[in-house]
Amino acid sequence: MATDAPEARAERDGEDEPQARAERDAEDPADDATDTDAPHPSFEAYAAESPPQAAVGAPGKDGVLELRFAPTSDGTKLVHDYATVPFHVSGTLGHDPHPAAETVFLQSPTGGIAQGDRHDVTIAVEDDAVAHVSTQSSTKVQSMNANYAAADTTLSVGPGGHLDYVPEPTILHADSRYYQDLTLDLDAGATAVLADVVVPGRLARGERFEFERYLSRVRAEGPDGLLFEDATHLTPADGDPTAPGVLGEFTVYGTLFVVAPDSDAAALSDALHETVTDADARAGATALPNGAGVAVRALADRAETVQSTLHAAWDDARRDLLDAPAPSGRKY
Amino acid sequence: MSDDATLEAFRLADSFLPVGTYTVSYGLEQFVADDRVTDADDLEALLETYLRRQVGPAELVALRAAHAAASEDDIDAICAADRRLAAVTLAAEFRESAQQSGDRLLSLQRELRDDDLLERYAESVAADDAPGNYAVVLGVATGLAGIDVRQACLLCCHGFVTGLLGAAQRLLSLGHTDAQRILDDLRPVMAEAADDSAGRSIDDMTPFAPLVDVLAADHERAERRLFAS
Repeated sequence: MATDAPEARAERDGEDEPQARAERDAEDPADDATDTDAPHPSFEAYAAESPPQAAVGAPGKDGVLELRFAPTSDGTKLVHDYATVPFHVSGTLGHDPHPAAETVFLQSPTGGIAQGDRHDVTIAVEDDAVAHVSTQSSTKVQSMNANYAAADTTLSVGPGGHLDYVPEPTILHADSRYYQDLTLDLDAGATAVLADVVVPGRLARGERFEFERYLSRVRAEGPDGLLFEDATHLTPADGDPTAPGVLGEFTVYGTLFVVAPDSDAAALSDALHETVTDADARAGATALPNGAGVAVRALADRAETVQSTLHAAWDDARRDLLDAPAPSGRKY
Repeated sequence: MSDDATLEAFRLADSFLPVGTYTVSYGLEQFVADDRVTDADDLEALLETYLRRQVGPAELVALRAAHAAASEDDIDAICAADRRLAAVTLAAEFRESAQQSGDRLLSLQRELRDDDLLERYAESVAADDAPGNYAVVLGVATGLAGIDVRQACLLCCHGFVTGLLGAAQRLLSLGHTDAQRILDDLRPVMAEAADDSAGRSIDDMTPFAPLVDVLAADHERAERRLFAS
């Protein structure tokens, strides 16, 4: 949960102002939070106190989510769900264009991911089930001044099953440090579509590439072992993310993985490439290693442009794999 | 290093080495077609990205693992590094180019050297147990020849840059002096790429150049092209 309000940060950062530093040096070198912004002198003592914060991985910061989908005579059903703060599941939605598919939109009652958060997500799709999991809105990774936040996601799909894991974008606020690790395990004949879109700041307020570190790893394994692995590691202070060939003139970056080891990857890759070159983002599709399927990369100035381009590829891929279009994005 | 090792390093670093360098541009052809690379400065900046984002965090990590495994006669570790490098190289054209050059270098080394490990590695590649990436073959070759691992990393960077400079001379009006200047300017970046790869395990390969991947995807479908990648 967001327990470290921006005002508290501003107050602590205030110690570097010359006047504050001079006062601190004159009085007590150990009192490191002398504040000059207090609304009234009688509040100065309070302002010097750091607000206590829940410890790393404490209740409320150790969110766990478990979802399990199974096939029934009446289509796919969510047969197990367990969610602790900040995850919330308020049931399933039945409007997927695929008749047997089940949909879950993850909700969060918090303002985003804060320092010290450790999230653990497990989603299992059993044999022949079809599930779509997304988030209700963007995941905001809040500014940090201590520790980091991490999310560990494990997805598994049983024989003949299909999972679409297409969350809304991750927005990296200034000074955030975020590690996300996603593992996909596919059984024989299983398929999955994974999307990951990263927005490097609150663009509307002119914030971009001010986060400290972002490392996102995606790893897919099939019955015969590792299929592919992709990593996005950005530390804007150490290496310019807008260098030629990296993000270039673009800001928002996203990848869609169509993991379908039994499909004709070359043909699907060509079809998806044609689709995304007609879309608004600068994008391309290529066949994944080990015959795993297709990767689509898209770059643009706005999250919506990357999302709509990846959605067009997702729609194509879903028609190819499931004979049904991609969901429209309706969240209710 | 012994004289033999030094001379082997010179031979492996030479653009005269017949491994098909003239067929690969690693997306450079598409960057030129897109007018993203029009002069020596653009080219140098792009080559810097390749070294920092692709060669250092991926190829050299695999090369180091293969180099160490060759000195310990550990064929399984060589194959593991080889498979890992292919699994993190998402652009299909780059995997094909790396495996074609790797195949040529492995055949060449087997003609010149009578070595049991090279034979076993070739068998693993033939059995599809390892993809045979160029950086891994180079790691094995330099390890067996007694070339220091850091020199082997720099050799790999030098070969990569001279290969792309050769491609650039056919794609752009790039003079010989400009090409040499870029090679000279990129020395500190090559050293940093070698540093970056040190201490990484094969589980920690993190190449990241999405715009290169997007342009490579365009290049796969380009109608008229000089280069295989």
